[in-house]
Amino acid sequence: NLLLITPCHVHLTGRCGALKMMLADNEQQLKENMVSIEEWMKGDMKGSCLFGQLPKFEDGDLVLYQSNAMLRHLGRKHGAYGKNDCEASLIDMMNDAVEDLRLKYIKLIYQEYETGKEAYCKDLPNHLKPFESVLSKSKSGFLVGDQISFADYNLFDLLLNHKVLCSASLDSFPTLKSYVDKIAARPKIKALLECENFKKLPINGNGKQ
Amino acid sequence: MAPYTLTYFPVKGRCGALKMMLADNDQQLKENMVSIEEWMKGDMKGSCLFGQLPKFEDGDLVLYQSNAMLRHLGRKHGAYGKNDCEASLIDMMNDAVEDLRLKYIKLIYQEYETGKEAYCKDLPNHLKPFESVLSKSKSGFLVGDQISFADYNLFDLLLNHKVLCSASLDSFPTLKSYVDKIAARPKIKALLECENFKKLPINGNGKQ
Repeated sequence: NLLLITPCHVHLTGRCGALKMMLADNEQQLKENMVSIEEWMKGDMKGSCLFGQLPKFEDGDLVLYQSNAMLRHLGRKHGAYGKNDCEASLIDMMNDAVEDLRLKYIKLIYQEYETGKEAYCKDLPNHLKPFESVLSKSKSGFLVGDQISFADYNLFDLLLNHKVLCSASLDSFPTLKSYVDKIAARPKIKALLECENFKKLPINGNGKQ
Repeated sequence: MAPYTLTYFPVKGRCGALKMMLADNDQQLKENMVSIEEWMKGDMKGSCLFGQLPKFEDGDLVLYQSNAMLRHLGRKHGAYGKNDCEASLIDMMNDAVEDLRLKYIKLIYQEYETGKEAYCKDLPNHLKPFESVLSKSKSGFLVGDQISFADYNLFDLLLNHKVLCSASLDSFPTLKSYVDKIAARPKIKALLECENFKKLPINGNGKQ
C-alpha cells in the first residue's frame, strides 16, 4: 500500500505528477493525504517532515521525502530503471537534466512569472534541444533503452507543464511532440489524464501556469 | 590505463565527492582540465550533451550530471546500500545534500557579498536534519552499515561550509565527528593532503 502525502490548499500536481503517472501506468493504488495550507502553517506536520517539506511518500515502513528519490524507488520496484547498470546511469543523467529544467520552471512560476515569462519561453528551446536530440536517436522512442523509465514519466510531466506555459514550445521539436502524444496515449496514462481527480489539480500552488 | 576519465574545470566544484569516493576505493582517475579560455571558444561546450561540465567517462559510457556520476560509482563500488530500501534512503539523503549544494552555489556565484551573513545564520536549519539522521545512526553513516555516495557528498559539502561559515559545525557534535571520521579514512586523508587536490580552488570565481 502506497501512501502519498501532498501539500494542497486545493490539490496540486506540483512535484508529484510523474510519480502518479508511473503508478497509474503500473496499475498501482495510491492513497493520497492532502494537507491544506492552513494545516501546514500550524507547523506540526512541517516539523515532523525530515527536511521540513512535502511531499512525503510511504511504502509500508519506508518513509521517503524528495520527489526524485520517490521516482527512483518506484522505478526500481516497477522495472522502470533500465535493464542494467549502464542504462540505470543514463536514466539518472536524463532525470537529473529534467530536474534542472524543473528547477528553472519552478523558479519562474514562484518568483518571476510576470517579469520573466517571455524571456523564459524564448530561452526554452535551448533546454529542450538535448531531449529532442536524445529522443531522435532512440530506437524505442524512450530516453534510454527499450522501455519507459522514471525519467520518461518525469520529462513527459514537465513537457505538459511547458505546453501550458509556452504554448508553441514543442512546435520546433517534432520528436518531443510525438513523444508527448505517444505517452499521453498509453491507456492508463490517458485514463489518469482524463480522470476528474487529476484534472482538477492546479499544476502549481500559486495558481500560475 | 585509467578506466575513469573526468573532464572539468580546474576547480573542486561538483567533483570533490566523486574524487573522494574513487580515492577511497583505490580507483585511478584521469583528469582532463579545461581552461576557461578553451571553454569560451565554444567547441567543447557544444559537444557536451547539456552544454555543461563535468563529463565523466567509464569506457564507452559517457555521463554528464555529477549526481549521476556519484550513483554510477556508488553502484560499481558498493556505496549504494545493501538493498533497495537502503538505496532509496541514500537517494533521499543525496537529494537533500544536493538541495543544500544548490543554495551554496547560488550564494557563491550570485550573492556572496550581500548574502553571506544571512546564509551562515540560516545554515543550522539546513544542517539539523543531517545531524538528526546521523545521531540515530549506529554505523555513523547516513544509511545502513557502510559509507555511501551520499556520505562522500555530504562530507565534501560540509568541508565547503567549514570554510564559508567557520563556526558552522560548532553546535552539531555528530556532524563534527562525522567530518573528522571521514577525513581520517586513510585514502581520503591522503587525497586531502595531496598537492593536486589541495591546489584546486573550491569554486570557479575564487570565492569561498
